[in-house]
Amino acid sequence: MRARKAREPGRPPLPRSFGAAGQVRSHGIRAVAAILVAAPAIAALLAACEPRPADSEAALIAKGRELFFNETFDGNGRTCGTCHRQEENFTITPSFIATLPKDDPLFVAEFIPALKHDFENPRLMREFGMILENLDGFDSLATRFTMRGIPHVLALRTSVDSPQGPRTGWSGDGAPGDGSLRGFAMGAVIQHFTKRLDRVPGVDFRLPTDEELDALEAFQRSIGRKDELALPLPLRGTIAARGQAIFLDDRLGKCNICHRNAGANASLGGRDLGNASFNTGVEDLPDHPARLAGEPVPRDDGFGIPGDGTFNTPPLIEAADTGPFFHNNAVETLEGAVAFYTGQAFNNSPSGRFLASIDSNGVGIRLDATQVVAVAAFLRVVNALENIRLSNESLEKSTAFGFFGIAEAVTLLEHGAHETEDAIAVLRGAGLHPEAVAELESAKRLIERASRSLVNRRAHTRNAMQEQERARAMLTVEKS
Amino acid sequence: MNGERGGRRQMARSWAVGIALLALCAGTPAHGQMATERYIPIGKSPGVSQKVTSVGTIDSLSVRQRTITITEPTVRRTVAITARTRIWVDRSRLKLPNLAGRFDDLQRGRRVEVKYLDPDTRLLAEWVKVEATTP
Repeated sequence: MRARKAREPGRPPLPRSFGAAGQVRSHGIRAVAAILVAAPAIAALLAACEPRPADSEAALIAKGRELFFNETFDGNGRTCGTCHRQEENFTITPSFIATLPKDDPLFVAEFIPALKHDFENPRLMREFGMILENLDGFDSLATRFTMRGIPHVLALRTSVDSPQGPRTGWSGDGAPGDGSLRGFAMGAVIQHFTKRLDRVPGVDFRLPTDEELDALEAFQRSIGRKDELALPLPLRGTIAARGQAIFLDDRLGKCNICHRNAGANASLGGRDLGNASFNTGVEDLPDHPARLAGEPVPRDDGFGIPGDGTFNTPPLIEAADTGPFFHNNAVETLEGAVAFYTGQAFNNSPSGRFLASIDSNGVGIRLDATQVVAVAAFLRVVNALENIRLSNESLEKSTAFGFFGIAEAVTLLEHGAHETEDAIAVLRGAGLHPEAVAELESAKRLIERASRSLVNRRAHTRNAMQEQERARAMLTVEKS
Repeated sequence: MNGERGGRRQMARSWAVGIALLALCAGTPAHGQMATERYIPIGKSPGVSQKVTSVGTIDSLSVRQRTITITEPTVRRTVAITARTRIWVDRSRLKLPNLAGRFDDLQRGRRVEVKYLDPDTRLLAEWVKVEATTP
C-alpha cells in the first residue's frame, strides 16, 4: 500500500498575491510586531505543554540515559554507549565498526600508547566485533583473558534475575560487589574505561557514585521489552508457525525448556526458574572464526574463577537483529545459531547429554535443515513484531513534542526508523512476509518525511504507525 | 480417564525435566565478580559495602589459626582466612594500583574491609581488602 499524503482535505490553497506591495509591507510589519509582542507568552505556553519526566523514576531513567551515552568517568573517552550503540540495538557489529572514524573511543587501543598491549585485540575487534575481558583476574594480562562479543542490553528487566541472584554479562558474573546490574557499571568502568592498565581509581578513571549506579541501572532496566511473550502466538506465516511448534515441542526442538516463551528464563514444571546458566559446548565448536584468524584466543571457562564452563541464557526474541551469536560471536547467522543445537558440540555438552538423558530415544536435539530454518523463521517473526512494537512506541512518544521539542521528536523518530529498518532486514533476510516488508518500507519513508517536516510531522508519524500496524497484522492475528 | 492419566504423566514429566534442569544449573550461584572487585577501594563495593561487609581495623591476628580480629565502630569480630579467601592490598589512597595480597599483608592497625562467605554467621572471609599506608 502506498503512503498517503498528509495534507488536510478541504483546506483552500494559499493566495498567490496579497495585493499592492504597500499593503503587504504594512500587514507584514504589523504581523511581525504582533508576533514579537506575543512571542514570550506563546513560548511559555508551548514550553508548558512539552512532556516532562512524569515522576522520579522517569527522571532517574533520563539521568541514566545521559550517563550511559555521555559519561566517560574521566577515563579513556569511552562511554557505555561506545560499545552498546542504540542504533545497533545496544550491541555492535563488525560492519558497523567499519563505519567508525579512526579516533572513535572504541579504538583506544590503537591510539593511546598505554593501552596498546593487553587491553584489546584490534584485529579481532574490527574483524569479529570482539572485546577483551579479564574475568579471571588481572595478574597475567598477556595470557589470562577472554575474547567476547558485546551482549545487547535489551529486555534486561526480563533476563537478569534468577533464584540464585542476578546474572549479568555473558557468563552471569560480570558485576563486582553484589553481582547486580547496578554494580555492573562499576566493573565496566574498571575493565573498559581505564586510561592505563594500572587501573587506579581517581587517576585512570573515577568510579560511579551510588546515585549514578542507581540511574544507570534504572535506564538499563527500561530498555526494550519489559514483559515476556505468551506463546504460542497466532502467527500467519506457515513456516514461522511450524517453527513455533517445533520450538515449543519438548520432544523435538526442546527450545522452550531453557528459553521459556522465547525469553531468557528456564521453566520448572511450568514455573519460571529465572535466568539460568548452562554449558552448551559453544567453546568446543570446531573452526572458531577468531581462532582461524590465528590470534590468541584462550578457552573461555565461563562463570566463576576457575570457571565452570557455563554461560547464562540470553533472550531469543531480540536475537535476530543482535547477531553474531553466542558469547564468542562464533556464528554469524540466526540459522547457523539454531543449527548449532543439532551439532556435535552441543549434543556432546553437559546440556546436550542432559536433554538426551530425558529423551525416550536418547536424542539431545536433532532437527533437519527445513526444521532449523522454520525455527529461525519463527524467531525472525517474533523479533520483527518486537521491532514494530518498539518503533511505534517511539513514534507515539514523538507526537507528544511540539514545535519547541522538535529535536527530541526527531531523535525519537530516528529510533523508530532504526527499529523499522531492523524489522525489514530481519524478515527480508529469510524471504519472509514480503507484503509486510513493503508496508514497513512505506512506513520508513513516512518516518523520514516526518523527520524533515516542520508542519506535517505528526500526520506523517501517525500514518507511519498505521502502516506498521498493517504490517503487524500480516504477521499475526493478535492485536498489538 | 486415559486423558487424565496422560495429563498426569505429562505433568510428572514436566516436573522431572524441571528438577533435572535445576540440578544442571544449580551449581552456579550468582556472585560478585572477583576480577574487578580488586580495584574498588575499601568501602565502595556496590551493594556490598556497609551491608554484608565489615570495615574496621585489625586488632589482633593469629598466624597459626589464620584468623584476624577486627574492631568495627561498635563490635569486635574474629574471622577466619581460608585458602580460598582473596586478599587485596588497597593502595588507591596512594594513587597506586591495587595488588593481590597475602596473609602477611594483614597487619595490626591496618584498615580492612571483610566480605563474609556467609553474611549471617560472619565466620569465614570471602575476600579481604587491606589498606596500604606506604608504597
